[in-house]
Amino acid sequence: MSDLLVTKAEARNLNFYYGDFRALKSISMPVHERKVTALIGPSGCGKSTFLRCFNRMHDLYPGNRYEGEIVLHPDNTNLLARGVDPIEVRMRIGMVFQKPNPFPKSVFENVAYGLRVRGEGSRRRIEEKVEQSLQDAALWEEVKDRLHEPAYNLSGGQQQRLCIARALATDPELLLFDEPTSALDPIATASIEELMHDLKERVTILIVTHNMQQAARVSDFTAYMYLGDLIEFGVTDELFIKPKMKQTEDYITGRFG
Amino acid sequence: MAAAAPVANHAELRALIGQHKRWDAIFAVCGLLALMVGVLTFAALFVDMALDGFGRLSWDFFTSYPSRRPGQAGILSAWVGSTLVMVVTAFFAVPLGVAAGVYLEEYASKNWVTDVIEINITNLAGVPSIVYGLLALGLFVYQFGFGQSILSAGLTLALLILPVVIVATREAIRSIPQSIREGSYALGATQWQTVRYHILPYSSAGILTGVIIGMARAIGETAPIITIGALTFIAFLPPSPITSQPPFVSFEWLMSPFTVMPIQMFNWTSRPEAAFHANAAAAGFVLVIMTLAMNGLAIWLRYRLRRNIKW
Amino acid sequence: MTEHASKQYDLDLGSIRSRVLAMGGLVESQIRRAIDSLTTGNVALSDEVIAADHKVNAMEVGLDGDCSQLIVRRQPAASDLRMIFAIMKTVTDLERIGDEAQKIARMAKNIHERGTSAPPVVEVRHAADAAISMLRRTLDCFARLDADAAAEVIRDDAGIDTEFRSILRQLITYMMEDPRTISTALEIVWIAKAIERIGDHAKNMAEYVIYIVKGTDVRHTGAPKSGFA
Repeated sequence: MSDLLVTKAEARNLNFYYGDFRALKSISMPVHERKVTALIGPSGCGKSTFLRCFNRMHDLYPGNRYEGEIVLHPDNTNLLARGVDPIEVRMRIGMVFQKPNPFPKSVFENVAYGLRVRGEGSRRRIEEKVEQSLQDAALWEEVKDRLHEPAYNLSGGQQQRLCIARALATDPELLLFDEPTSALDPIATASIEELMHDLKERVTILIVTHNMQQAARVSDFTAYMYLGDLIEFGVTDELFIKPKMKQTEDYITGRFG
Repeated sequence: MAAAAPVANHAELRALIGQHKRWDAIFAVCGLLALMVGVLTFAALFVDMALDGFGRLSWDFFTSYPSRRPGQAGILSAWVGSTLVMVVTAFFAVPLGVAAGVYLEEYASKNWVTDVIEINITNLAGVPSIVYGLLALGLFVYQFGFGQSILSAGLTLALLILPVVIVATREAIRSIPQSIREGSYALGATQWQTVRYHILPYSSAGILTGVIIGMARAIGETAPIITIGALTFIAFLPPSPITSQPPFVSFEWLMSPFTVMPIQMFNWTSRPEAAFHANAAAAGFVLVIMTLAMNGLAIWLRYRLRRNIKW
Repeated sequence: MTEHASKQYDLDLGSIRSRVLAMGGLVESQIRRAIDSLTTGNVALSDEVIAADHKVNAMEVGLDGDCSQLIVRRQPAASDLRMIFAIMKTVTDLERIGDEAQKIARMAKNIHERGTSAPPVVEVRHAADAAISMLRRTLDCFARLDADAAAEVIRDDAGIDTEFRSILRQLITYMMEDPRTISTALEIVWIAKAIERIGDHAKNMAEYVIYIVKGTDVRHTGAPKSGFA
């Protein structure tokens, strides 16, 4: 990595509780700007929990508690602070989910929804932004003639790219991917990974994946988590060829019990 | 079949499967017979009523007031009354029921207080309708002073079908996958934006179905209407809602005395002349057709509104 | 090392490793018998060694195929990746050693068929023993994944290079004394060169062992000092 690394977001001593259960244990980790950072680890290690702290999704459900900070740069805002509105956080940080979840509306309305929520009234600006986002998601050519058809008519891979376009329409500073390809076939998966490679020029990406080879393929940095702890964080190539921690080694070579 | 050893050969296996399939067939036949009992009973009643009353159906029947002479009696005041009462019922039941359902599903926190409310609402659906009539008599007719009017009847029936609307709303909202809500919130929407742009549109099919089914029940309710004092013989219509003078809209009809179809039928059935029974059968036929039409509308609307929904 | 979650993976990897060691043993015996055929003049033995080289080649092909299969099936990472990488390179080096042994046998056969006076082979024997020792120790390091012993093997390669140069000087003197011996002497030079190459290949294999264990690629960097981290 010859270019300069700028930190976009940083978790500082982040603890998270589902009721009394401590799901995240003092996690401190940087997320570098315009790079892809991957979170790997076995089921139940807390990687999705950690991801969802970034856009305060846990606030939607009762009984959850944050301790510590997630600081967003350059304005140094702590996303988890009590005075910070989760709605505002979600307007700056976008999310793509594991199972594609387009709304039962037309393709156009799906992508335009984020803009409507922000009160964008100009039809022309909405149309421009929709086209731009669909281009960025490598979907425009396939849907430009059926913008007003239901989104459910698209294939699985197309639906997921639609969800990506939907998230991109609002110019997020950080894009969260929660196992985005685990419900897709290998070709759709490859197209999404290709897309991520293009997107990272513009947007910082944090991705949770249970597929280690995917993490090795798409990410610049990888973090290995186990039972709520951050075991190792490093440059992806180094972590996969010569990990520093034995636990990481055991996990990525399949020696994990 | 206490077969300790596994089946030895294909012939035995086939015999065993044949035996199981026979039970399949027996159950299918029993199920069909049970279904036929209900269907044939309804068909028999309907056909019987149609045969009795079909001859009486005519334009005059629909446009005449009741009369002492069976040949001249009609259901004009009855069906107009039924329609107006249904309008009032819908006007109150739908917003109250939908709002309550949305609140319980989306806004209320899940604690024991909400559970108690839920249980009570479901129980309300089983309360005998005459109890609603008594409540309405004391509250709407006397306490609020609405009198024995369409407004009182509409409010009573609205209360009656409110649990149905609330439950239908809640079921429709519950069937919306959580992933859709999360998708909306993740884009920075507030709770109200999510309800307005997603929850309500996607549950509208289920809500409408519940409303129409509730209304189809309400249209046939007799006991509460009698209790609050619907008249049985009226030879006039409530005042028209549209007037020729400003402000061109009148609400006088709300306070007007009225009658409804079931009451008219009941009245005719209790007369000794056989000709009135034919009238009653004709009115019953019309009532059933109205109910079937409403159910048909519910089915069609559900189909239309659910076209994009995939859950 | 703890076992993989997949027993089959362990079995596959274990089978590959033991076959690498078997190939090493076969190659070692080829060298030994080739040198024996040189010192004893047993032409039949030379022929056996020459013919047996096809077994070494077959083992190379088989092992490379199995390694490819393992890569496709398991997508190895970290130490497993380094192991497979090192194994594939080790197999190549072993096959080359086998070729060198075959060359030695060919030269030996040529010398004895020519039937001139006995050539000075004592130093050659000594260098060959040193090379065989390097090979055996490297295979041992591979089996035990001992990086320190591998470092020693790497250092010892310098010794074989020195011996080669000394043999060369002796043979030059020999050739100058009696020009009729030049053909034989040249063949001994090729034999000595083959032994020197065997030493180099053994050194390469030791470098791979260090790569497996430490993760550092020490090729072309000069001999590592003892006791490094």
